[in-house]
Amino acid sequence: MERETLDVDILIVGAGPAGLSAALRLTQLQQQKGGDPLAIAVIDKAREAGAHSLSGALLDPSTLADLVPDFAAKGAPLACEVTADSVYVLGETSKFRLPVTPPPFTNHGNYVISLSQFVKWMARQVEAAGVDLFMGFAGQSVLIEDGAVVGVRTGDRGIGKSGAPRGAVEPGADIRAKVTIFADGVRGHLTKELIRQRQLGGAHPAQFGIGLKELWDVPKDRLAPGTVIHTLGYPLRQEEFGGSWIYAMPEGRLSIGFVVGLDYHDPLLDPHAAFQRFKTHPFIADILRGGQLVRFGAKALPEGGWNTQPRLHTDGALIVGDAANFVNSMRLKGIHLAMRSGMLAADTAFDAVRAGDASDARLSAYKTAIDASAVKQELYPVRNVHQAFGYGTYVGAAFAGLAMVTGGRWPEDLHGHPGHTRMRRLADYYGLVKRDVLQASNAVVADRVLTFDKVTSVHHAGVHHEEDQPPHLRVQTDVCHSVCGPEFGHPCVKFCPANVYEMIETPAGRRLQLNASNCVHCKTCDIMDPYGVITWVAPEGGEGPQYDGM
Amino acid sequence: MKIAVCIKQVPTREWQPRLTDDRRWVRDTDISYEMNEPDAYALEEALRLKEKHGGEVVVISAGPARVQQVIREALARGADRAIHVQDDALGVADAWAGALAVAAAVKDEGFDIVLTGLQSDDQGHGQFGPVLAERLGMPHSTIIMEVQIADGRLRAKRELEGGWFQYVTMPLPALLTIQSGINQLRYATLKGIMAAKKKDIRVAAPAAPVASRTRVVSLSLPQKSKQTAMIGGTPQEAARELVRRLREEARAL
Amino acid sequence: MILVVAEQKDGRLNRASWETVAAAQALAAGTAPITVAVFGHDVAGAAADLAAADVAAVWAVSHEALASYTPDAYVTAVADVVAQLQPTYVCLPHTYQTRDFAPVLAARLDRALVTDITGLVRRDGAVLFTRPMFQGKLVAEVAADGPAPHLLSWQIGAFRADAAARGAGAPVTTRAAGIDPAAFRQQAEPPFQEAKAAVDLSQAERIVAVGRGIKAQEHVALAEKLAQAFGAELAASRPICDNGWLPMERQIGSSGQTVAPKLYVAIGISGAIQHLVGMKGSRTIVAINKDADAPIFEVADYGIQGDLFELAPAIIAELGAS
Repeated sequence: MERETLDVDILIVGAGPAGLSAALRLTQLQQQKGGDPLAIAVIDKAREAGAHSLSGALLDPSTLADLVPDFAAKGAPLACEVTADSVYVLGETSKFRLPVTPPPFTNHGNYVISLSQFVKWMARQVEAAGVDLFMGFAGQSVLIEDGAVVGVRTGDRGIGKSGAPRGAVEPGADIRAKVTIFADGVRGHLTKELIRQRQLGGAHPAQFGIGLKELWDVPKDRLAPGTVIHTLGYPLRQEEFGGSWIYAMPEGRLSIGFVVGLDYHDPLLDPHAAFQRFKTHPFIADILRGGQLVRFGAKALPEGGWNTQPRLHTDGALIVGDAANFVNSMRLKGIHLAMRSGMLAADTAFDAVRAGDASDARLSAYKTAIDASAVKQELYPVRNVHQAFGYGTYVGAAFAGLAMVTGGRWPEDLHGHPGHTRMRRLADYYGLVKRDVLQASNAVVADRVLTFDKVTSVHHAGVHHEEDQPPHLRVQTDVCHSVCGPEFGHPCVKFCPANVYEMIETPAGRRLQLNASNCVHCKTCDIMDPYGVITWVAPEGGEGPQYDGM
Repeated sequence: MKIAVCIKQVPTREWQPRLTDDRRWVRDTDISYEMNEPDAYALEEALRLKEKHGGEVVVISAGPARVQQVIREALARGADRAIHVQDDALGVADAWAGALAVAAAVKDEGFDIVLTGLQSDDQGHGQFGPVLAERLGMPHSTIIMEVQIADGRLRAKRELEGGWFQYVTMPLPALLTIQSGINQLRYATLKGIMAAKKKDIRVAAPAAPVASRTRVVSLSLPQKSKQTAMIGGTPQEAARELVRRLREEARAL
Repeated sequence: MILVVAEQKDGRLNRASWETVAAAQALAAGTAPITVAVFGHDVAGAAADLAAADVAAVWAVSHEALASYTPDAYVTAVADVVAQLQPTYVCLPHTYQTRDFAPVLAARLDRALVTDITGLVRRDGAVLFTRPMFQGKLVAEVAADGPAPHLLSWQIGAFRADAAARGAGAPVTTRAAGIDPAAFRQQAEPPFQEAKAAVDLSQAERIVAVGRGIKAQEHVALAEKLAQAFGAELAASRPICDNGWLPMERQIGSSGQTVAPKLYVAIGISGAIQHLVGMKGSRTIVAINKDADAPIFEVADYGIQGDLFELAPAIIAELGAS
């Protein structure tokens, strides 16, 4: 069967806030400056806009106001303004409220939103402006010719597990573009390939956390809409980075989530279990009492900050948003930065196409623009904060305070380490106590009212994948079947929030079983596996979680 | 050949219902929608008939503005044009109301064959197709697994209970309701999606007020009506008691 | 009065007809007379069977053109009887055949039809009908609007055939169907059976499903024996199919098949929600599991906490003995 080809001026990979902001900005530039109409295409692996979008989320509306000044009139779903901020430090049953909410945690003027709904709304604006939004097309590989990025090839559809056709087959399409904007999100698999192929890695390794989120419906009078609570402490220990959020939305809808830095030492740490245990804290359990779980989701988030951005441009390509690691991990905000970077990339891409020059030199204008923009203004002063947390919570917090006061002045940039290298071996961490680390216990709590097991969580993520397709996790299983057990105790079983990885006993010994269709596309396995032998690639387009309201 | 396909937009299979406070309907914020699965197979069958016999495929859907999602999907897969019978009330109305609204909107179209899924995955009345057939004055058959057309006549394979089938013939124009699995669904291509934007969608308001014949008085989540009866004792005792209860109480044997 | 439309094939009554009689009797609650009509060509035998029901009358409606089913034939024949009897309700079994013609009948009579009814509820002087919605995720109480008669098709198994009250013997009258075959547009060929390549669990009346508790592939044979003893089809939860111990077509759950048989026996299945959504509509659910906390017990009608390797052979023996 023949492969479809499409030629456009600008291809945007990823229909999240960064990609859609780029698309919208391009249509605005088109209108302002006139000239030959640009051919713009946006591709995204999700079935519909917003299906894979997940965040707390608190939106800083500054960028939105620039991009769509009449956003209120256009019906932007800004559910409610933040009305109250508080930060608590939790002990096992105790809680201590910080008397003053630290400035990064204050949210005056910000909105509690559902990122999924927000992205849906943005997609409607983009489509109304005439841009082709190709949902359900997963990028498979970057097309490079003579060292320049010339576009993206999408994945085949209709191939069975064995590689033979399952039914109707649609080979992946080649979308060729003068400029490709990579907006494929945290640990974007195409950006990852691009960085490797074009050697765009920065001096500082990327660092990540995993965010697990649940939507709950609780009695309407429980928390006033716009209430924002953050917690530190229980059940994480001083050596572990992370904390929680609780955001109250109208009509008793609650967003509750937990972040664990993906640089922990304990190989048996289970972020999903930690989240469930967190909910058993009396303070949290009281908030959720009598409520009902509506949805679950998980996604990694970039935490390394300014210094971990890759080289943002190469011949024919630009990188924006979470894919470029533009998240302010101190303020816990990245949506407005993603949008800003998308807009700036659009400016550069537009000029490049008009000038007929998409060379690296020409596209470097994007980096110049980022450096002069609110993105650097915000991220540069806190560029070392997350790295400081690598020395423990107290050091990190102290450093963060210092950074606030000094505007980030510090003699030398702190160097972080890739999170998976900080995972310690079992023997090292637990001593030489003999234990069968595949015991089901290990602090998992699931009462099915307040707390849930992974399989139930997957159900509440609305995940759907065709069962009969090649697995989209590429794993060098000889490692799993030899050294990983004794050395690390199969941490993939722990850190995957969706029970994709299981070690099962067979007559031939312990074998890895992949429940690939459970995958929620969080990218944690691609990030955290200590040997670096897991590669996440996109499954067939149009599949994955269904993050309604997330 | 003028082929019509009636498709419905329904909540996705993974959707978990939440009820409104008065329990008369479901909460419809945050619902994700998709094309009703049997209708997708009907669309594919229509596209294949067009490929074989020539003509045009017209896709029809009734409901609020949001059903344009599935209309565009159908156009992207290859339907030629569309008719959207638009009314918010049609989003919750029953199959009867939907069929009447569509019948009024298409009565002058002169379709040779009308295809639709055997029932919808939301309300599941299974009435839309046959009621539409009657209103359009067409013969029909339901739960169809194969369609053959020759010399102005239709021969269709009907699914019956227990692995039985039957061929039925009738003159055109006719209506068939299609069973899932009749064929293999094709994917929309990039070109198809782009072309869909230029295809004609005629928006028609219902000719008469939308009036269902059945009315949902209340909705509830299925509850277990009795407690689980735990059966104890030795394996032999438990086995005997279980079989006895299944036979005498539950009448399941 | 209430009209029951019975279904027969080749002179033999479909058992669902008795279920429909039971439903009509529940609807009548002793206050409305019931007439059962059976349509076909050679229906004397079927009519005589029906006369044993506690109903006011049985009509054997006969015509050569009704020998094999076509929608036009049955719609006109039933419409003719409805015109004669002027019932308040017309009750039909929700079979493939009814699904084929009842909506057209409703449209021709311009009357409401409620399909796939699982029960009836009386509230505030009105009768409401329960039926599944959203693929069984919800139960709806539905009212039929508009003038009588209201047409009602009853889900197979909603009422038990043996719940139909027997009577002293209802009078049977034979009538010629008031139909004109020349006007019929469809022609039906004789039905045939097709050897289905795939297993269709959705048609099975009884299912024995096996889960992880079976521990090893060689023990699946025990589950097979149990299924045979029950006269049931064998099915499995996802891990069993993922391991290749049973083919994918036997998988029950959100990534497999959804079933609602009369009897579902789950052995060694914990009851993860992905499995439950595929089977919790079953009429009677039996769960056998070592773990008293397993979620499967929340949906089971009968549960045995214990070792399936001891219980399964015991049940097989018990079923064999009786």
